[in-house]
Amino acid sequence: MTVFKTFLKVLNKNKFIVILYSVILLFFGVSNMQTQEENTNFISSKPDVLLVVSDELEGITKHFVDYMEKHTNRKEIEESVRDDALFYRDVNYIIFINDHFREDFLSGEQPNIEVKSTGDYQASLAELLVNNYLKVASVYQKMGFTEEEIMQNIDKTLEKQVVMEVTSPLDTDQLEKVAFYYNFLSYSMLAGCVYIICLMLVSFQNEKIRKRTIISSMSDRKYNRILLLSNGLFALLLWLCYVVLSFILLGEGMFSRQGFLMLINSFLFTICCLTLAFLLGTLIRSKNTINGIVNVVALGSSFLCGAFVPMEWLPNFVLKIAHLLPSYWYIKTNELLKTMEIINIESLKPIFYPMGILCFFSVFFVILTNYISSKRRNIG
Amino acid sequence: MFHQFIYSLKTLCKNKMLLFWTFAFPIILGTFFSLAFSNIENSEKLDVFPIAIVNNDAFQNRKILQETFKNLGEEGNENQLFTITYVEKEEEAANLLEEGTIEGYLHLEEEAKVIVKKSGIHQTILKVATEEMLQMEMMVQVDIEKEIQENLKNGIALDVTQEYFEQIASNIGHQLQEKMGIKDISSSHLSYTMIEFYTLIAMTCLYGGILGMTSIHQNLPNKSEVGKRVSVSPISKGKLIFSSVLSSFLVQLFGLFLLFLYTIFVLKVDYGNKLFFIILLAFVGSLAGLSLGIFIATFLKANENVKTGVMIAMTMLGCFLSGMMGITMKYIVDTHLPIVNKINPASRITDGFYSLYYYDTLDRFYGNVFSLLFFALLLLLLSMYQLRRQTYDSI
Repeated sequence: MTVFKTFLKVLNKNKFIVILYSVILLFFGVSNMQTQEENTNFISSKPDVLLVVSDELEGITKHFVDYMEKHTNRKEIEESVRDDALFYRDVNYIIFINDHFREDFLSGEQPNIEVKSTGDYQASLAELLVNNYLKVASVYQKMGFTEEEIMQNIDKTLEKQVVMEVTSPLDTDQLEKVAFYYNFLSYSMLAGCVYIICLMLVSFQNEKIRKRTIISSMSDRKYNRILLLSNGLFALLLWLCYVVLSFILLGEGMFSRQGFLMLINSFLFTICCLTLAFLLGTLIRSKNTINGIVNVVALGSSFLCGAFVPMEWLPNFVLKIAHLLPSYWYIKTNELLKTMEIINIESLKPIFYPMGILCFFSVFFVILTNYISSKRRNIG
Repeated sequence: MFHQFIYSLKTLCKNKMLLFWTFAFPIILGTFFSLAFSNIENSEKLDVFPIAIVNNDAFQNRKILQETFKNLGEEGNENQLFTITYVEKEEEAANLLEEGTIEGYLHLEEEAKVIVKKSGIHQTILKVATEEMLQMEMMVQVDIEKEIQENLKNGIALDVTQEYFEQIASNIGHQLQEKMGIKDISSSHLSYTMIEFYTLIAMTCLYGGILGMTSIHQNLPNKSEVGKRVSVSPISKGKLIFSSVLSSFLVQLFGLFLLFLYTIFVLKVDYGNKLFFIILLAFVGSLAGLSLGIFIATFLKANENVKTGVMIAMTMLGCFLSGMMGITMKYIVDTHLPIVNKINPASRITDGFYSLYYYDTLDRFYGNVFSLLFFALLLLLLSMYQLRRQTYDSI
């Protein structure tokens, strides 16, 4: 109880910085959710396109604009920020339909169109749509039809649709969002735990206090255990905050089985963060080093393991290095869960392995902390 | 004063924590960026993906579809979209889909069906491409009908043989192969991962504030023991502070110089080719960071650790809003809450580098430089006002 009371006193003394850090990290987690792009569901898989029409909006020009509006998300963006929008991928494709587009097209000349493209796959899709329309239109124009007939034939031709069948029963859109939130949580949780717990433990590492603790009747293991549990209380509180936020932000996605399993996975990861923070806190002697350690450990893990950049986009050699970090196994479980269709013992086997490794990391960190702590009992 | 400057420089260079934040941390973080983002833009480009086609009688009878899919699946063809596996039975294709070997498969019976496991961009492209072929069949049909009608008007009954059909299909196929002459006027500077490295420079500029903070602490009697000793020496406080701040600024610029060398020569970051303006922006950005550090050291009544924590938290928040942890964040803030990034020095620095990289004109760049200068001068003036005439009879 004495150790726990002291822990609370230290927590109270550092409350300003603890609250500041927790709030900033929570803010990171929440606002990052707002930037998450919509899932590329094929019904709604429409590239974001900006149409700049300088020609009169009539005849084939209007027909082309209507077609693009139907098959893409038409964006309205002010002229001054158009280029910014393209750079930041707010729009994938800008189409400039210049003067005389209609006139040139009807006289059989090349259509007067300019485009700006981000070059990514959404832009490729937009390009495919534009080319498709213009080619069909051009074929009918060359067959000698009138403008009205061309438009009718284009409609008849472009009506030809293929039947799409989706075999997976999963709501991928919802689960993508849940996985995105929980993947990002690996950064916030790691940074929060390491920073706050190291800050707490450094106060206990003061030489005079250490000496007093060592000569007390309490065993080193018991002392470490109470400290770990006290810090665990804080970690649990932080985890609960994120869980509550996830229910508020993600809604029904969290009520799925996959969502529930991601929640359990995040709990295991929180324990792992706690034990890692406890190990680092035992090693650190000065408050000045905490900031450096937090940033290197939390940002490093997050960049290398796929919290900020999706795992499938990371180069292979980076992923191999990431195998040595707990965050990798945590994020891997989330990634497996988001595409898991059937949940039963057999299908869950692939996630037991990474979850087991997370538990192994936690036990390993505790043993290492006890070992280092006992080695450091000799002071002076 | 020169002595003071040298001593201050020595003190700063012996402070391990400061050296870490100024020299080591940005380089470590830059390396993380480079590792994480080296593949990201390639991953977003449309690559060839695997599909399957059920090669049944219905497919065998659709010559146009057969030829076009062959063309789109041909290795080395510049239009190649797919790698195609032809299977005899639908079950085989369904198995391949279940294993994740293919993105989807085409099954022709009375109608054309594309079966996919989930929704996505590859699936959409397979859908659009298949529809294009069905549309081509439609065009051939329209053309033949037109020919029949025109021939009938002249009293001739047109005999549509297989050969005639193939000739029409081939004509239309050729027309569809023609390029539409759309002019692509995109900028060649569209690599948005550069923003990450620009935020890194912004972070380094702002972390320089910790140096400024330390230099203030060293000279003020109410902040540190060293400050008490220094303040009883017979040197004017203005000179003391000026020499300390100057030495901090130099250390900061040196750290930034090392980071530039590392990012340009090792990580191959493209800052554009306007060297003078890059140096100018780095200089003004560092000044903004330094002034922020001095301001926090002067106004915040707390111990040094809390101040460092506040400085780091503010820097990280600023960098987050400029796109360090998600590139689109800067654009979102710029479009929805522009005032936030107008007063955020990290965003101004990032935007300055971005405008040098992406835009040909310098108007936006100058806007950033002037707002950073204004920010720095305002904070420095406020700090000077707070620091002036502080004397103590007893402390």
